[in-house]
Amino acid sequence: MRALVAEHVDTADPRRLANGWAVPDPAFSRALGAAGLIGMTWPKAYGGHERSPLERYVVLEELLAAGAPVGAHWIADRQTGALLLRYGHEDQKARWVPGMAAGEIYACIGLSEPNAGSDLASVRTTARREGEEWVIDGQKVWTTNAHHAHVMIALVRSEAGSERNAGLSQFVIPMDAPGVTVRPIIDLTGGHDFNEVFLESVRLPATALVGVEGDGWRQVTAELSLERSGPERYLSSTALVLQLIDYARVHPSESLTALVARLAAETWTLRLMSASVANKIARGEDPALEATMVKDLGNSFEQAIPELVQAAVEVDPAGPEPLGLVLGHLLQLSPSFSLRGGTREILKGIIARGLGLR
Amino acid sequence: MNEQQQMLSEMADGLFAEHGPTATVESGWPAIAEVALDGLLLAEDQGGFGGSWEEALTVFRLAGYHAIALPVVEAIVAAALARRSDGRGTVAAVTEGRIVGDRFSGTLSGIPWGGGADYVVAPAPDGGAIVVAAQAGTLDTGRNIAGEPRDRLTVQDAPVARLEGNPFALMALARVAQIAGALDATLALSVGYVNERKQFGRPLAKFQAVQQALASFACEAAAANCAAMGAAQAMSRGSAPFEIAAAKLRANRAIGTGTALAHQVHGAIGFTEEYQLHPLTRRLWAWRSEFGGDAYWSAQLGGPIVAAGSSAFWSGLTALTG
Repeated sequence: MRALVAEHVDTADPRRLANGWAVPDPAFSRALGAAGLIGMTWPKAYGGHERSPLERYVVLEELLAAGAPVGAHWIADRQTGALLLRYGHEDQKARWVPGMAAGEIYACIGLSEPNAGSDLASVRTTARREGEEWVIDGQKVWTTNAHHAHVMIALVRSEAGSERNAGLSQFVIPMDAPGVTVRPIIDLTGGHDFNEVFLESVRLPATALVGVEGDGWRQVTAELSLERSGPERYLSSTALVLQLIDYARVHPSESLTALVARLAAETWTLRLMSASVANKIARGEDPALEATMVKDLGNSFEQAIPELVQAAVEVDPAGPEPLGLVLGHLLQLSPSFSLRGGTREILKGIIARGLGLR
Repeated sequence: MNEQQQMLSEMADGLFAEHGPTATVESGWPAIAEVALDGLLLAEDQGGFGGSWEEALTVFRLAGYHAIALPVVEAIVAAALARRSDGRGTVAAVTEGRIVGDRFSGTLSGIPWGGGADYVVAPAPDGGAIVVAAQAGTLDTGRNIAGEPRDRLTVQDAPVARLEGNPFALMALARVAQIAGALDATLALSVGYVNERKQFGRPLAKFQAVQQALASFACEAAAANCAAMGAAQAMSRGSAPFEIAAAKLRANRAIGTGTALAHQVHGAIGFTEEYQLHPLTRRLWAWRSEFGGDAYWSAQLGGPIVAAGSSAFWSGLTALTG
């Protein structure tokens, strides 16, 4: 793994090593696919490699710790492939999954809408039957990777007049289908990660329904343990920790050593917690509460690192020192860490319910 | 947990709950000695239980959970290091003085429950450990901020035996486990209180600010417990210099958040002598310093990481567990 990463990861711009799971690089994704490192747990019949979930976990943390640009295929590998294999129609599995495993087909997830952010059950995009087909109308927003993705899994309201989390279904939507329009949303760093996705009379075959009609809410929430506890939830700022270690080597001081120790202790603990959840998932359990805690702790940690480093070193966050460049980049990106994949407030609400407070 | 671990856990839980923070060595220790719990980590052929570090973690954690005012943890670590099944041992945090041949002159301090102990294991000034008979010197008694005995033994030309092992680090691991248990108990007390106590016509638990505070606390308690488990598992594999340092630093951080939020949600009642929050929180504050505070363990952990450079950081971290 480390040799493959060293061969393919371009370290010329140190900023690209931070938050690598949001950095797309199709060439890298194809190289990983060719090396058998995408879809590792999927059946061989669909291009997978039938490895254990824990082998996959080790590969993921190696990629993220090295700052590898895994953004293009990340969602397909983490969620969409597995979802299609579990709930998808045979035609859809055959169409999408082998390309995902090859690192050539990328996915995005259509959850948020203009009036449904943390309150996801407010989705208003609709699916209605017309003969054998489904017709989708509505709009998704904050859709990460939509501009690279070949396919979207969207949560939409398939039962007219239904409310809240009832009457929702998941559909697989080809991004090149007539009626799908992607518009970029540029973030405060000038980066393009988010998009708006407009869905206007998008016609889908009956096989596009993923799983059971009306069961979309349960299917979506069942994915959350996979989404919330992975190593991407605490390693986004590791590139800055590595820069700090080398800075401390050149500028030795007790306070820098103490900061390195604090960050190392937290990284070690979060790795244990995240791996413990991965172990439980591998055994078939659903450790939803622990997964939520990993995300909350992990996001708070990766979000705190830039501020702690800025307070400890005298460096220009505009560069040109690599430490400064990574710091400046993460200072601006890190507010998103406790928003993506469920805001801190939503996560704490879930944990509070687990404690018996609501 | 297997059946033996389950039995051990239930036995310790019952015993510690019964004695709790008001125990005294005179009233409570016979019950501990009767079940030979102090031999937990001692090999069976040495008259002990032959327990693992994971089993020790279970017992240490419960000792913290029940804030038991008895030297259970110290006696277990001392017996394991001294390989003794007779008498009650304890462990000093600091050794000042010198060893000439097999005689020691100097002071051992930070000794939990030195009064009535038979022997004291202490870090040797030149590495490893020593053991001294408690009757060999003069004992000055003291207390930590939680009221637990922390004594000082001054000896002159007393016979010592040398031991292998690192009593300071093993006691730091024990404190991490106690911290993890005490944080869980503090969290449980806080959750129970906010579900009972009503203000503005509803339980405190129904206020979002209170929910979010206790959710943060729960995450911190989980992190401390996971760190304790990681360090205990590393000890079972052999040694744990990285893990014990990391675990003590992480557990210490959890104390700040946990105790502050516990007192905040309890309001004034939690600040009274009568209410049983302080036996937990005062211990947590004391244990944060004992057997190495943040400054000590930061240097132990951070120094080698900085010296090895960034390229060794992740590979070193993952090599710990293979």
